[in-house]
Order: sequence, then structure tokens, then C-alpha cells
Amino acid sequence: MPRRAIWTILPMAVILAFAAAPRLTSQTASPKAVDDIKIEKWNSAPVAKAEYEGVKSAPAPRRDLSGIWDATGEGYDHPPRGIGTSGADEHRAVPRGRGYTSGGEPDERNIANPLPYTPLGEATLESHKPTGIGVRSVPTALGNDPVEICDPPGFPRLELHEFRAFEITQASDQVIVMYEFFRTWRSIWTDGRELPKNPEPRWTGYSVGKWVDDYTFVVDTVGMSDKTWLDNAGRPHSGEMKVEEQFHRLDHDHMELTLTIDDPKMYKEPWLALNKFPLRLQPRGFDIREQYCSPSDLAEYNKEIGDPILAPHK
Amino acid sequence: MRTRLVTISLLIAGCLAASVPLLAHHGNASYDTGKTVTVKGTVTAFIWANPHVFLKVDAKDEGGNTQHWVIEAENVVTQAGKGWSNSTFKPGDEVSVEITPAKNGQPIGRFRGRIVINGQEFKTS
Repeated sequence: MPRRAIWTILPMAVILAFAAAPRLTSQTASPKAVDDIKIEKWNSAPVAKAEYEGVKSAPAPRRDLSGIWDATGEGYDHPPRGIGTSGADEHRAVPRGRGYTSGGEPDERNIANPLPYTPLGEATLESHKPTGIGVRSVPTALGNDPVEICDPPGFPRLELHEFRAFEITQASDQVIVMYEFFRTWRSIWTDGRELPKNPEPRWTGYSVGKWVDDYTFVVDTVGMSDKTWLDNAGRPHSGEMKVEEQFHRLDHDHMELTLTIDDPKMYKEPWLALNKFPLRLQPRGFDIREQYCSPSDLAEYNKEIGDPILAPHK
Repeated sequence: MRTRLVTISLLIAGCLAASVPLLAHHGNASYDTGKTVTVKGTVTAFIWANPHVFLKVDAKDEGGNTQHWVIEAENVVTQAGKGWSNSTFKPGDEVSVEITPAKNGQPIGRFRGRIVINGQEFKTS
């Protein structure tokens, strides 16, 4: 290279290096990966959706769902979708175009996306008195929601109501899902076994799973106790219900969950309770809070608020 | 001008009335959501538990008689997400809180707006 050319290029290179420097500094200040996002070490709060901006997700690992995930990343300004205050996300029990209702209606005919109830389904729904924010909601102490008296929510309510942070671990023969709500877990067997025939009912049923491709894990569950409700709006199910979950990992930090209810006794056709519901991976070290229902705490709440609020008007 | 002011005030009141119940886990059938009451008094207990966190406050009514108020929030996880903790209130704290009162006239309410603890405004995140 002629000497003159070096004297032309060198100053330009120095200028370019200085121009690039501030950009490099600002890049190191923002999180590069989900694990760089700062969280509290104990009782960690879920990372809000906005904090993922600037994070470049790595590609999804092959056949791996393990990690701590969260279903409430939209933040707390609105009820996060995972909490399911008004029932299953795809069929919220609120009137068309509205997020709120004062309740007290006899049925769900005015909601945005009604469910295909059979006559038995309709009658069973009528016997359920929910207390969340829904068209059929009743005052708290007049409700008969089993979760309100600390019965286990069971499955699939664990993914349709108070669905917050949860952990997935994988072993060679099972995938274990551990939920914040009621600190409960499910085993999803991947050892090739078949679902049980005429099983003894269980709160969380019996689950088997398989990978349909490297990033999609499909779970079938049967044998759920019909003592549970499907969601916070009192949607019923029979002991013959089948539930399909499809966990689809989009990349390292994002996963979608689609959940289908198939219960011909209660519904004329299968329906989607969650449709590509967004789940976000939490930073390493995320410490999941506990969220129990304690009968003694509930008794104190009812003594102080639940019962007196129903007393006749002063 | 006056009409416009009234309209704006009504709009603001409407937005407040519409947004507050969205935060609630339970429906509002027992609460008079059109009303806001300010309760001023001394904290006697703060219960950080499920299904709902609640605060007990002794406050004087217009006749000078002590009323035992019970004011509820949401569950522990939701309140924690709003920046509350088990030490947000302590017995003996002097507080002033805006609440939605119970319809039946009992001294029961639900947190809905401004919270002042020992003279300092507490911002819910």
C-alpha cells in the first residue's frame, strides 16, 4: 500500500472509532440477554413486557421447555391476562367491547365470545355462582366457587386463573410443571405410556406429552375431578373432559400456549380457552412467590369483611 | 365554558369509576363504586394475607365516636406487584386513604385512590 494512502485512511479510522464509542457504551448499559435484567433475589416480581425491549433473544433450544416462565408480563396496570379474572382468556365473561361488568345477569348470552354449551352445560353453569368480574358474578359471600373456600383449583384452572410465574423442569421420562398458585405441580409423562382408561379422578388429572417437532410439545390430560371449575367465571366440565395443551417455543425467551377443552357432555364442540397465549422466560435466579389459600386466613377475612358486607343496610 | 368543565369533570369521574374495578379480583356488587370516601385515622392492624390484604383503621365519625374501619386491597401477589409489602402500614400509623365504601353502610371499604401515611403520600406503582 502506498504510504500516502495510509495517511488518508488512518485519521478516518480514528474518527470512526470515536464516533462508534458512545454507541458501544450504550449497548453495554442495556440488557443484552434476559439474564441481564435486574430482579429481586427473593419473591421476584415478573419482568414487564417493556423490559424485554432491547433484549436479543437467542434461538430456541431444541426440545427444551425448562426454565421459569411468567404469564403476567403485561404488568399490573390492567389485570394481566394470565390472572383470568373474568374467566378463560378467549371467552372472557364480559360484554362485547368492555372489560368490566357489575354482574348479576342470569346467563352469558351477551358476552363477546359465547361458549357452545349443551343443555347440561348450561344447567351446570347456572348452578355455579362466580364472584370474579363477569356477567354472572354475585357478591363474594353468595358465591360457591370451590377455590374461594381453598379447594385445589385443579387442572386446567391452574392455567386459566391466577396463572402467574411457573417453573418447568425436564427429566428423561417426564416434564414437571410447578405453579405459583397453590404451590402445586403436574407430571407430564414422556416415557411412552398411554393415558389411563377409567381413571380414579384427580384434581390435576393424568397427563402424557410428546414432541411433535423440535419446538412444539403437545400434552393430553384426562381424569380431572368434576368438583373443579374450569375458570374464574364458573365454566363447568365433566369427568370425561379431555384437555390438550400445545407449548410452542418461539425462541429462547418466548413461548406460546394453546389450550383446548373437549368435553361433549358440557359443550357441543371443542373450544380454545387459550390461543397462542404469550409466556416469557424470566431471568435466571427468579424466586417464585408462594400463593396459598389458608383456611384460617380466609376465616379471618370473612369475619372482618366477607360476612359484615352482606349485613342488611344500616 | 362551565358546561365544558362539568363535562370534563364527569369524564374524569367516569374514567375513575371505570378503571378502579378493573384492578379488583372480585366483583363490586357489595360496593358503592360511584362514591369515594376519605378515611382518616390510626392503623390498628395490617393483614398481609390471601385472599385479600386488608387494613384496620380507627377513625372518628362526625359525632366524635370511634369507628373501626376495615379496608381491603387485592391478594398478596397483586399488591406486591404494585410495590406494597407486609410493612407498608404499621399499627400506630396515622393514615388518610380514599376508599370505595360498602353499599350497606358498614365501615368497610376498598382502596381506590390517594394514600397518605404519617403525612407522606404513598405512591402505588
